[in-house]
Amino acid sequence: MTRRVAVIGGAASPVGRLQTPADAPLQALEHEILAPLVLRAMAAAGLAKEEIDALFLAMCRPYTLQKYFATFLANYLRLPLTGGIMEVLGNGMTGGLSFDTAVHAVASRQAEVALALGINMESQAASADHAMSTMRATGDVDFHSIFGFTPISWYAMDAVRYMHEHGATRAELASVAVKDRRHATLNPIAQYRKPLTLEEVLAARPIVEPLGLYEVPPRGDGAVCLVVCTEQMAKATARPYALVRGRGFFHDGAHQIDEVPNDMTAFKAAEAAATTAYRAAGISASDLDLAELYAPCTIVQVLAAEAMGLTPRGRGAAHAAAGETALGGRIPICTSGGCLSRGHPAYITGLLTIYELWEQLTRRAGARQVRNARLGAGSCELGNYNAALIHILEASA
Amino acid sequence: MSLSCIDVPGPRPWPPRVSAFTRPFWDALAEGRLTTTRGRTSGRLTFPPKPFCPYDWGNEVEWVDLSGRGRLYSQTVIHAAPAAFAREAPIHNGIVDLDEGLRVAARILGDASLDAAMECVVLRYADGPLFAFRAA
Repeated sequence: MTRRVAVIGGAASPVGRLQTPADAPLQALEHEILAPLVLRAMAAAGLAKEEIDALFLAMCRPYTLQKYFATFLANYLRLPLTGGIMEVLGNGMTGGLSFDTAVHAVASRQAEVALALGINMESQAASADHAMSTMRATGDVDFHSIFGFTPISWYAMDAVRYMHEHGATRAELASVAVKDRRHATLNPIAQYRKPLTLEEVLAARPIVEPLGLYEVPPRGDGAVCLVVCTEQMAKATARPYALVRGRGFFHDGAHQIDEVPNDMTAFKAAEAAATTAYRAAGISASDLDLAELYAPCTIVQVLAAEAMGLTPRGRGAAHAAAGETALGGRIPICTSGGCLSRGHPAYITGLLTIYELWEQLTRRAGARQVRNARLGAGSCELGNYNAALIHILEASA
Repeated sequence: MSLSCIDVPGPRPWPPRVSAFTRPFWDALAEGRLTTTRGRTSGRLTFPPKPFCPYDWGNEVEWVDLSGRGRLYSQTVIHAAPAAFAREAPIHNGIVDLDEGLRVAARILGDASLDAAMECVVLRYADGPLFAFRAA
């Protein structure tokens, strides 16, 4: 028998450059960044340390020297646990899975209070070297990586195909980056907060054609902690919380591309996961007040929004350009600034997604607050949205 | 059937690993043939080749020649290339749907429009072959 679960607290570092060069005399240490966030998140939750009984850590990047970081951190925090402790890895879904695991632990009565947290440090690794690792994650080492496909190169091919089939324009796609930057200017943890024009996005140097610098994710570090507990406990705190109303997951069984030709830009996994999540929550896409999507590139935000029913198929880029997915629009998407401007410390991006939803649904979002936000959707994914994990959260008040 | 071969100086930037099972694929490619496996009970092709059929998990498979002909599904030019590919960057890669109903990712040579007819060619590097496609 399961029970209802709430997000009652959260804290996040600014996204950007936290990692220090290997030869710096003073080093930034992961636990010294993450532990204070645990304290802040628990203070926001209004719960006592002794009530925590599980910890689910988004696995650290290989650049983090301390291995078995989860148990190291439990020691650092003097945190004995009766419910469980785990380091979670699920490619781009890693952060989302650590949250999902925490929710499951509470829902299934293994824990009353669980932390979902992580720190992603990678900014000191040169992009060309980092890509030597990530190309082996988003491709068959012996049949894809041999050609040098990088993670975002698959998204670029989505863009080319999408424009070809639906007549979307470069400017329409690029407008997503401008809109996300505008959101990020209102987010104190965002990596990039200087306004960006459409002309700048279109004139940027190419990274993976047709996408230029501002349409692909920046490299960055970040850390975040969320506190998850039973709805009953959340209510007892008398503080606002975000209730987990629905969850959906789907993996299409493919690694980047299906060997059987299909519509690659349909993002079937996002569609299937959203359908499951909406059904669990008893809602439809049109009931959502905002959506925080895992979208490392402009095109990915367009395709995920279409697959989740937030914009019509083939018209997502046009709808974005028309302002429908901006703050104040019909369905604000990525109010945090998203991967493009809030930043994309990939292994914790899924946690930052839930953090933004929690801020919005508990009215903490300041100048980027979606008025009367009641229902929000968060997505994360892996590959070329070969798998999607979607949560629906609802404001407690 | 023999595919056109193009000599490329130097070694492959990131050579594939060759196993006892995949060796026939790479040997055939070096001879100008694009091949894969077909499950004997399902009759279905798969790519990359596998020592079993992923559809019905049958253990009996046979090697078959592919036409190397297909259509360009999508493409990109990767400017921010992994370190090993610095020499070849920017890299023109794409996805080709073969006439046999298989989707393959590979290097693309020259200009080609989406949905254009494509043909497979063999890039003969000093240390072994890679497959690529160009407008037919």
